[in-house]
Amino acid sequence: MKRLLDFFKNAGKNVKLSMCLMGLGQICHGQIGKGLCYLGILALAAGYFAYRGFTDFVGLFTLGTQESDTWLGIQGDNSVVMLLMGILSVIALLFLAFCYVSNVVDAYETQKICSRGGQPAKFQEDVKQFLDKKFYKTVLFLPVLGICVFVILPIVFMIAIAFTNYGGSIVPPKLVDWVGADNFIQIATLTQFAPTFGRILAWNLLWALVSTALNYFAGLGLALLLNKECVKRKAFWRVFPMLAYAIPGFITLLGFKFMFSYGGPVNQMITDMGGTAVGFLDIDAKWIARIIGFAVNAWISVPSIMLLATSILSNRDVSQMESARIDGASAFQQFRYITLPFVLFSTTSVLIGQFIGNFNNFGIFFFLRGGLYLDGYFLASDTDLLINWLYNLSINNNYYNIGATISLVIFLITSMISLVIYTRSSSYKEEDTFR
Amino acid sequence: MKSRKKMRFLDSVVTHAVLIVVAFIFFFPCLWLILASFSKSGSIYSFKGFFPSEYSLDTFHNLFQDTAMYNYPKWFRNTLFIAVMSCLTGSFLTLLTAYTMSRFRFKGRKAMMKTTLVLGMFPSFMGMIAVYIIMTQFGLINNMWGLILIYSANAPMGYLTQKGFFDSIPYSIDEAARIDGATNFQVFLKINLPLSLPIIVYTALTSFAFPWSDFILPKLLLKEKDLYTVAVGLMSLGDTEFSRFAAGSVFIAVPIVFLYFCLMKFLVNGMTAGAVKG
Amino acid sequence: MKRFLCTLLTGTLCAALLSGCGKSESGDPDNAQSVQQGQTAQAGQGADLSGIYNGTLEQNVTIRVLENDTAIAEGYFEELINAFNEAYAEYGIVAVDANMDQYCNLADDGPYGYGPDVLYQANDVLMKYVEGKHIYPIPAQNLGCYDQVSQAAWNAYETEIGGVEYTMGVPVNVQSSMLYYRKDMLPQDWEATWDKNGNKIPDMVENWNDMYRYSKEIVERGEGKFGYMRSLYDVYFSSGFLFSYGAYVFGNNNTNADDIGFSKGNAEIGANVLLQQASLMNEDCIDDSVTVNAYSKLADGTYFATMTTPDVYALFLKELALVYESEGLSKEDAAAKAAENLVIADVPKLPASGDLTEENPESIPLKAMGGINGYAISAYTKSPNACLAFVDFATSYEMTMKRHAYLGIVPAREDAAQAAGGISEIIYKNLDDGNIVVMPSIRAVEQMWTPAQTFFQDLAKDAFRTSDKKYTSLELIKEGLKAVDQQIYDAIHTLAAK
Repeated sequence: MKRLLDFFKNAGKNVKLSMCLMGLGQICHGQIGKGLCYLGILALAAGYFAYRGFTDFVGLFTLGTQESDTWLGIQGDNSVVMLLMGILSVIALLFLAFCYVSNVVDAYETQKICSRGGQPAKFQEDVKQFLDKKFYKTVLFLPVLGICVFVILPIVFMIAIAFTNYGGSIVPPKLVDWVGADNFIQIATLTQFAPTFGRILAWNLLWALVSTALNYFAGLGLALLLNKECVKRKAFWRVFPMLAYAIPGFITLLGFKFMFSYGGPVNQMITDMGGTAVGFLDIDAKWIARIIGFAVNAWISVPSIMLLATSILSNRDVSQMESARIDGASAFQQFRYITLPFVLFSTTSVLIGQFIGNFNNFGIFFFLRGGLYLDGYFLASDTDLLINWLYNLSINNNYYNIGATISLVIFLITSMISLVIYTRSSSYKEEDTFR
Repeated sequence: MKSRKKMRFLDSVVTHAVLIVVAFIFFFPCLWLILASFSKSGSIYSFKGFFPSEYSLDTFHNLFQDTAMYNYPKWFRNTLFIAVMSCLTGSFLTLLTAYTMSRFRFKGRKAMMKTTLVLGMFPSFMGMIAVYIIMTQFGLINNMWGLILIYSANAPMGYLTQKGFFDSIPYSIDEAARIDGATNFQVFLKINLPLSLPIIVYTALTSFAFPWSDFILPKLLLKEKDLYTVAVGLMSLGDTEFSRFAAGSVFIAVPIVFLYFCLMKFLVNGMTAGAVKG
Repeated sequence: MKRFLCTLLTGTLCAALLSGCGKSESGDPDNAQSVQQGQTAQAGQGADLSGIYNGTLEQNVTIRVLENDTAIAEGYFEELINAFNEAYAEYGIVAVDANMDQYCNLADDGPYGYGPDVLYQANDVLMKYVEGKHIYPIPAQNLGCYDQVSQAAWNAYETEIGGVEYTMGVPVNVQSSMLYYRKDMLPQDWEATWDKNGNKIPDMVENWNDMYRYSKEIVERGEGKFGYMRSLYDVYFSSGFLFSYGAYVFGNNNTNADDIGFSKGNAEIGANVLLQQASLMNEDCIDDSVTVNAYSKLADGTYFATMTTPDVYALFLKELALVYESEGLSKEDAAAKAAENLVIADVPKLPASGDLTEENPESIPLKAMGGINGYAISAYTKSPNACLAFVDFATSYEMTMKRHAYLGIVPAREDAAQAAGGISEIIYKNLDDGNIVVMPSIRAVEQMWTPAQTFFQDLAKDAFRTSDKKYTSLELIKEGLKAVDQQIYDAIHTLAAK
């Protein structure tokens, strides 16, 4: 607050010029290049808003006023497109505001330097900065831009959907409207909803925890096993998991589904030996199907974790191990006190990634046991994860708004959990251990 | 001394036994798929137990010659193009992001790390509607570059793994180089990059494998059959085309296995032991 | 309302003026203009489509046609577009393969300009596009096929918007269930022992009671062979058994999504028939195993009969011929023997009581679920008149007969069905008699599949449960069916915006 007051008290002519027109202050300071850059950004933004940005921005609030009718040749508004482009225009607006603030701050800083008798920085020097001290800005620009457009924009779009009535029979060309918190109220008051949500969430958490632990330790164990000195021809042994890795997941899943189906080879073997066919994935197969899910998921994920662990283990400090061995540490002690902390440190993020990936593992039960709505579940089955349920609601039954609402609720829960885990993990807190 | 030798021998036996079991678990389904692709009959139900009763090379011949309906070679070329381009741009961006997040300390860094973590938790298919609309607005439907753009843009989201690796490379080397007058860019290029070969290979492999086997995005964005990728094409096969499906699936695995053989030695022997840690 | 009256009035006037115009002969480009000009003569249904079809063929345009994969693979589609392009060469109209997934969704692609101009899909899929007006209505009465196509088929494409009746697609062929069986697996002396009515048709393919008896005989031989086999979880085939005893999908002729009727009438009796059939099958009938393995298992003699759609006949034939070939026959002999032994017939009759063990029961026909595949015109096309000309051309007698010859489909045109004879005639007659329940043409039909499929799977599984059987009485089955209705209702309505 005080800094802000100071700012207004001290802001000179050039700063005020910059406040009026982006880049003007810089030009007056003699920083022509930088000033032109700021002006250029402003011109681009003005062009965009004149061309479509402003209409897009307004469209975000109206979500369309004219329904289209192809039979009468009326080209109407597409609410969903308007929503998306509206969000894009808000992002553009935020970017402009960011540039504006940075422009004012920059002019203020320059003024400070001048008042201390310094020289305003030259354009070349500024550019150089971006390759050295501010290298991170240069580097992160592209990734951040990409993530803004292809990750953040869709997510914001989806959150926005949770507050509209998009879904059911209200899809373009029908006009979508904002409905406030209606969807949340609807979910909260729906009696069938809570029991299903609770059951699926419990199973989902169990699934994510168990399969993450299973995959992680199996992968790590395999990598350690292959790293042992007594194993000759390591490349040969590694080929088998790599084969599994090389086959796309959906093909694997279809293959396993067939294998465990009634007419599949596993049941064929059982019946040939005189047994009765087992419904591994059928309607009554709750726990068998879940266990098969764990196994198949491990089959798919373990090779990549093994690969990663192998590359990380290659970075391990061998001399430390050597001295530990000389000190008489057993193999287990070496693992427990040297290898494991090291691997855990550099793979916490992998663990979290695995947890997230498994929590939202859509494919596995969609392919293995899709197409069932069981008693006691509202449009879901007992192996469905939350994401499968979301799919049933939003894609199968067209309730995009409800799907978005539930994903928002789930998201709030899961992101809390993973943030807490992550900020407490050693690799976050002690990033600098190996510095 | 003798008992130690014995222990070692026992250890080796147990290790190999486990390895054989593991190899069997991973290999058996693959073997099944491979043999099924050589089946003479197109249907999987004429098999004796797990494996076909008669073998022939017809399916592979069909796969590459009979392209009127199912143009596998074309699908293969499309997929290769998309995967190679996405792999190049995607791993470049990922490594750069990871490196920056590991080496630089700047305002908003921790916030950024937390944000990316949280963003990954969103169920992705809901966002597909948005991605589709964005691509229609950019006019990038039926365009392979559109896919490459999305894969590359999404790749940096997975930078945490790579960051974990960079974190474990001692900062002291960087400092030494900087004292010698190297810029940050040079430090990255000349020093960190060669040390990071294993993780580069890992990144390249994963960012190649994902577009290579992805089904959802190409299905969403490529409408024309000429632009199909292998995954989409295989899913469009008819009911009775099982052995063609199997043959296509086996062949789809070839580039990744090939890459593995080429890159494995970098993956394992990236860092010469002790040279850096000193 | 005023607007509607206006339309009606102009329509009637035009009809009076143009009534002199003869019905256009299909497939003839010279008459194509008259199809177009006849647009305004839509008086009968009160729909004025002149705003869409102005009557002049667009010149030098390309229309992208979406066909199904089999038609492309078997070469029929190439023949069709070649013939069309030749006939319309003078206008410069060229029809090409849309080169898209046969199941692509026009509602997703069309508005952004990526959809096809003309689509060939099933009626439930095409009618899904009506709500958003993604397809144009069609002046059906001006098409050459109008009088020939069964009214039941047209009904599948009719819709009412704002009090006006519209036809949204043009029926091409009928999909329904047929019985496939192996003639050489009949008992040697079937004419003496299995033909009570002496009509030279084996009893077991005429009614389900004898099929049950014969299946039982085969199973009890203990050779691991089966009589009739079918994946029971498949709603498309199993729901017919419920319909036969009074069930329906939606009320008011499949248009009212508030009334779901899987449990209505004596549906539980039909479900019980399925349960009895399941007792003579193996576990493969619970999931989709039989659907996919029937091709080879019918060929190797494991199954005696199965029920499926007529369009897969060629696939069954191919598998059987392969078996004969591996037994040492030459290619031609094997094909001939396969064609001789693989018979495709009308579905058997059901007992009115629902008891498959009853002797000489009173029989009722099986009302199988069916679909009408047809053409529709995308509302995003730039050249609706040329598209209409294409649809008219493709539904002509000649092209329908060609389609039948290439693909073995059952034509929706009466003249073609009669000329084709055999199965086509039977199915056409079934459709006309109302024994084919055409899939509902409203959007809510999408929400029907999963709940119904779950129930049928549960029912089939029940035949193999030992101690914990769920469906031990008709009342319990009825309860189960009511639960299905409720689930479908939930899927459609519970989450809909109020």
